[in-house]
Amino acid sequence: MRLLLAAAAGLAVLAASACSAPAPPRSATRPSATPTGPAVLPAPTGDHPVGTTILYVNDTSRPDPWNLDVGARELKVTLWYPTERKEGERAPYMTPKESELFLRGSAIAGVPSDTLSKTRTNAIKDAEPAGEKLPLVVLSPGFTKPMSSLTALAEDLASRGYVVAGIDHTHESYVTTLSDGRIADCIACDSDTDPGFGARVVQGRAADVSFVLDQLPAKWDGSGLIDRSRIAMVGQSMGGASAMAAMLEDSRVRAGIDMDGSTYARIPKSGFSRPFMFIGSEQHVPGGGDASWDRDWKLLTGWKRWIAVTGTDHQAFTDIPLVGPSLGIEPVHGVLPAERGAEIARTYVAAFLDRHLKSQRQPILDKPSSRYPEAKLCPEDCGQS
Amino acid sequence: MTVIRAVTAGLALLLAAACTAPTAPRSETSPAAGTVCARPKGRLPAQTPTTIEVVEQAYFCILGNYYSGATMDARLLLTAGFIALTRELNLNGRDVSEATMPALTGDREADWTAFEAVYRKVADQVPDVRDKLAVVTLEAIVAGLDDNHARWVRDVGKAPPGYHDGDGYGLGLAASVNGPQVNGNPGAALPPLFVTTVEGGAAQAAGVRPGDIIESIDGSAPFIDGKPTPAIAALYPRYPEVDPVELQLLRQSTGRRWSVTLKPAVYERDLAALQGVTPKLLEDGIAYVRVRGFTPDAGDRVFKAISRLRTGRTLTGVVLDLRGNGGGRAPEAIRLVSAFVHGKVTAYLCTVDAKCEALRTDDTVELLNLPLAVLTDRSCASACEHFSSAVKDLGIGKLVGTRTAGAVSGPSEPFQLSNNTMLAFPTRHHLGPNRETLDRIGVPPDHYVPLTPKDAAAGRDPALAKALTLLHK
Repeated sequence: MRLLLAAAAGLAVLAASACSAPAPPRSATRPSATPTGPAVLPAPTGDHPVGTTILYVNDTSRPDPWNLDVGARELKVTLWYPTERKEGERAPYMTPKESELFLRGSAIAGVPSDTLSKTRTNAIKDAEPAGEKLPLVVLSPGFTKPMSSLTALAEDLASRGYVVAGIDHTHESYVTTLSDGRIADCIACDSDTDPGFGARVVQGRAADVSFVLDQLPAKWDGSGLIDRSRIAMVGQSMGGASAMAAMLEDSRVRAGIDMDGSTYARIPKSGFSRPFMFIGSEQHVPGGGDASWDRDWKLLTGWKRWIAVTGTDHQAFTDIPLVGPSLGIEPVHGVLPAERGAEIARTYVAAFLDRHLKSQRQPILDKPSSRYPEAKLCPEDCGQS
Repeated sequence: MTVIRAVTAGLALLLAAACTAPTAPRSETSPAAGTVCARPKGRLPAQTPTTIEVVEQAYFCILGNYYSGATMDARLLLTAGFIALTRELNLNGRDVSEATMPALTGDREADWTAFEAVYRKVADQVPDVRDKLAVVTLEAIVAGLDDNHARWVRDVGKAPPGYHDGDGYGLGLAASVNGPQVNGNPGAALPPLFVTTVEGGAAQAAGVRPGDIIESIDGSAPFIDGKPTPAIAALYPRYPEVDPVELQLLRQSTGRRWSVTLKPAVYERDLAALQGVTPKLLEDGIAYVRVRGFTPDAGDRVFKAISRLRTGRTLTGVVLDLRGNGGGRAPEAIRLVSAFVHGKVTAYLCTVDAKCEALRTDDTVELLNLPLAVLTDRSCASACEHFSSAVKDLGIGKLVGTRTAGAVSGPSEPFQLSNNTMLAFPTRHHLGPNRETLDRIGVPPDHYVPLTPKDAAAGRDPALAKALTLLHK
């Protein structure tokens, strides 16, 4: 399913397939439309201006799972948070080098290599955090994607009063810039055809999440604003699968959302009772091509939702459709406009978090919404594909 | 792409069939001009039922594209299809008086028309098994090619309940006869049959151990007069096969004889043991690298592993362990050869009229300049045999173990059928660097070192030991 959806999105994500199963060609994706110039991320919808800053943490208790020459796991964490500062330098979306390596890894050619670094963000770089008892959301991107691929969602959550800690899982993205400027490449990409690859990745990511939660108080001045009893995790694709894995390993994570990611972690037969939401592309329905959500759904014994969004593909909840025009990538026929996909992702993710971390009633999670008819509540409201 | 799901979900023991057929990247395959079946582009839409029109398309697709499609006697395919059709009718207790093979003339179009006419008459009388008839007919036509790289790829159902990525399905063991020896080349199997690996599941729960001799399977002997019997295949059930399998076992070390009943199920496997490339530094600076398949990055993974083992020390040799390597991408086999020799031909791909393309080493790959020993066995298939034959013929290392599988007819290329299933078969056949046929013959080792039940029980690896003595010379 991962492969199918990735192929549909027109970006070369590698397949975890056995042996010589036909793989999608790794030919360059040639832009079919004229690039539009730099992308502008949609404005956050919450009440607060947003600040952002970068932290580096180094887990010396375990070796890097991919780079066997490194005896520790170094992680880059991007924080987004409410601030009172309205003016200031916007944080860069990516560095020119990150843009170059991400485009190269994704086999996107035909645009200047620094294109993505010109993407306009909304968060003020290194602004002072503001607020009190803020809930915390850990964010985890898809495999091969840098954390910045979820910036639109992260900024929106911060504007609504959440502290967001986005993790770049080193060597699982085409590019991660580490503390001293070193560039970590996608070593995990070498082994993504191994059976059990997904299970290995989410195991490692769960450890990454626990370590970041351990380190945040010491490493970030603003961490006093965080209410550590209210922590959730949200991820896309492999990141979503990792949300499940992290919750199973770490009880501090109280609720989780998986955006269109086939899952790999083993839920105990006795079930799992913390709140969890699957939100998937239109094909990600019960009885569809991905059996992993059907398998896990039966074992979720607490508050749970499964939402399939019509007119969306695998990348719909990421920034990829938003920045696509700047890369000359034409929208896939029949797919929702990028801004609409982003709006739905922001709305439903925030509704879930407001429901479970802020105890607010959220009718859109309980019945079909006339404002968001694309979002089908499964299994009742969504047909089998 | 349901086909891929079928393969990924297909679990360990589907591998023998699935892994030996490398798929050429689409960019390397030329469009099949004037043919009835196209190369698949992008993802395949949902599969639809197999009809007689699909069978027809497959028949002409094979004749138009298969290695010997232009010259073969097409009547053999139709006859194979008809045999399967009548067997299926019989199995269902639904024989039909019109199910008589039509006279065939050797005219491919006319013969198809005659075949189709009878088929339709028959199928109309048994509408409830119509879909199944088309399926068995198409399967039999493909099997009629008797080519280990020809298959019909379709989604055969969902993964077993509770299946997680990396899980196995079956009894939880592997035996000395496995993979291509069961499905492709049964003549390669030698007695005694014994357990080589306990992966988990029922076998582990029952206390089965490597080295245990399997004297009978569901009451049947695995060998009669030294020849393997079909009973061996029961060791490797595939989902949805769920019937328990009873094994009579003998543990040589204690003389204990007992029987276990193992129920096929999903079982968890050790993730570390599933990694495609696993390196280890052995005594005296020997780099040992196990390569489980020629996956898209296999070459680079091996090079990185060796380079890492080489950092800060002098290596004296390389052991590549290719036992159980079911093949994969030919370009990766070529890259691996290219780390040991440049400027050579690693294989030839030949059309039926003997027009051959030479596959050459990739001389951009840096030479390792290290002595090489390669461990092979009867499950080293396809691209693994491409590599092994090049090592042997080009004199770049020694092969230790047993003969390779002999499952290397030629690179399998995909063709899409109208119901969104795929045919995959070679358009050219594979020959070794000396233009020798490897298919069904395999590559013999330079040093024949088979595994015995006692070795397996004791955890000894005599082939590796032999390889180390060769490298130490």
